[in-house]
Amino acid sequence: MAGAGSNPHVDTMGPVMVSTGVLAKPFRGLGGFLAMALDTFVCMFRRPFSWREYLLQTWFVARVSLVPTLMLSIPFTVLTVFTFNVLLVEFGAADFSGTGASLGTVNQTGPIVTVLVVAGAGATAMCADLGARTIREELDALKVMGINPIQSLVVPRVLAATTVALLLSSLVILVGLAGGFAFSVYFQHVTPGAFVAGMTLITGLSDVVVALIKATLFGLTAGLIACYMGISVGGGPAGVGNAVNETVVFSFVALFVINVVVTAVGFEVTP
Amino acid sequence: MSAGLVVAQRFPLIIGRARGVVDGVDRIGAQTQFYAKAVFSVGDAVTRYTSETIRLIAQMSLGTGALVMIGGTTAIVGFLTLSTGALVAVQGYNQFSQVGVEALIGFASAFFNVRVIAPLTAGIAMAATIGAGATAQIGAMRISEEIDALEVMGIRSVAYLASTRVVAGVVVVIPVYCVAVMASFFAARFGTTIYYGQSTGVYDHYFYTFLSTDDLLWSFVLALVMAVVIMLVHTYNGYAASGGPAGVGEAVGRAVRTSMITASVVVLFVSLAIYGQTGHFDFAG
Repeated sequence: MAGAGSNPHVDTMGPVMVSTGVLAKPFRGLGGFLAMALDTFVCMFRRPFSWREYLLQTWFVARVSLVPTLMLSIPFTVLTVFTFNVLLVEFGAADFSGTGASLGTVNQTGPIVTVLVVAGAGATAMCADLGARTIREELDALKVMGINPIQSLVVPRVLAATTVALLLSSLVILVGLAGGFAFSVYFQHVTPGAFVAGMTLITGLSDVVVALIKATLFGLTAGLIACYMGISVGGGPAGVGNAVNETVVFSFVALFVINVVVTAVGFEVTP
Repeated sequence: MSAGLVVAQRFPLIIGRARGVVDGVDRIGAQTQFYAKAVFSVGDAVTRYTSETIRLIAQMSLGTGALVMIGGTTAIVGFLTLSTGALVAVQGYNQFSQVGVEALIGFASAFFNVRVIAPLTAGIAMAATIGAGATAQIGAMRISEEIDALEVMGIRSVAYLASTRVVAGVVVVIPVYCVAVMASFFAARFGTTIYYGQSTGVYDHYFYTFLSTDDLLWSFVLALVMAVVIMLVHTYNGYAASGGPAGVGEAVGRAVRTSMITASVVVLFVSLAIYGQTGHFDFAG
């Protein structure tokens, strides 16, 4: 049911089978991940829904991600705004720095910082927590008691990651815009009124909606990857560490790809 | 019964708070001490533990564990910068064509990729792959008391574990960052000319006009600085791991969070220092 764990039969086969087993390993991982994702989506709409676990996890992920969100979105936006303003000042169009700030923050910096926070902070903490439970064989104990770990642990975590990612992305955008405003006005001497007036020149409702859709997908994917890595942990002290390491790498790769695809689709869909 | 114990029992809340503050200061001190020791032992790492350093360089550039399957660190860094380069094409082309200046997308690739996007993406990818891997390895060694065993055998554990990794990180970052920059340029050019159908001549003209060698060299400096910061943060978190197998996982998570924040703040200040108030940019070429 867990859809995870290595197949014990593979290791006992002959040398030829072992070599194909090594080759097949990534695919088995992918298959296990997809099976768990499917299980999760099925269990999501099945009663009972573990509300308490969902709320606790939402709070946990939010608590872990809040400081990284603030600490990451400020340098990223300031860097983008600084680079953009250098350009605009050279053109003699410094009054449009608000346009650049909102364009950069809503369309790219916001989602990318959300990726970093959700994958780097939320997913790692979630995977470490779930991996620790797997190592202590709590998941097996749940199964023995007739409780489905997917329904009681994975579904609330995935939903919590999705919720927090959605909420965080709006926070990232707000903090980013405030940081960009402060930096442009106080350090690069842009007129505050012109900054605010320029903000909505290119960026509109559709961009914000696309940014929120991106964030939801990021949270969903990172949550699924973190949970899969967490429940398929094995191999002593190095195991949990490696699982967290792989969570970061795989969720970064997946989330950056999602970001490019949704950006491209967003431009095709919105006028 | 000592006076201190009486005070602690009489005012538990205040004493608890004070202890928290003191512990925080203590942690900062311990980290500073570790970083200083790791940086000063770099000479030892190169002269005494040469084979370990070389082994780590090989391991970091091609990855360990499950990451070998998908091509190791170099492939992951290349892939992530490929995706952000494609982002420049997608976002830049669409946004520029709204204002009617889509010809300038080559300029955007040469300017934003070099100054911001490639260094930051490469740094983050390195933190996730090399850095987190180092924390997991050292943390596991700490939990299974291998680090204590090293000390007993008379091996300087900070030099052997941390300094060698800092050296290896600095050596590995140069080819990895080359791959990163090439991948981001390639993706931006491919997206613009093949997917959106801009003529290659227009793209190349604006790209080469605004590609500045100075900027490119400075972005290598950014990557090097990030490599040092990331390796220090990650080795410290592995070295200070505690609390059984679960503790290693927590240490890796904490290390990734800390190093991403530190790396991006460091990049911000170093680029402000490099480009300064004027921006070091000349539109006339």
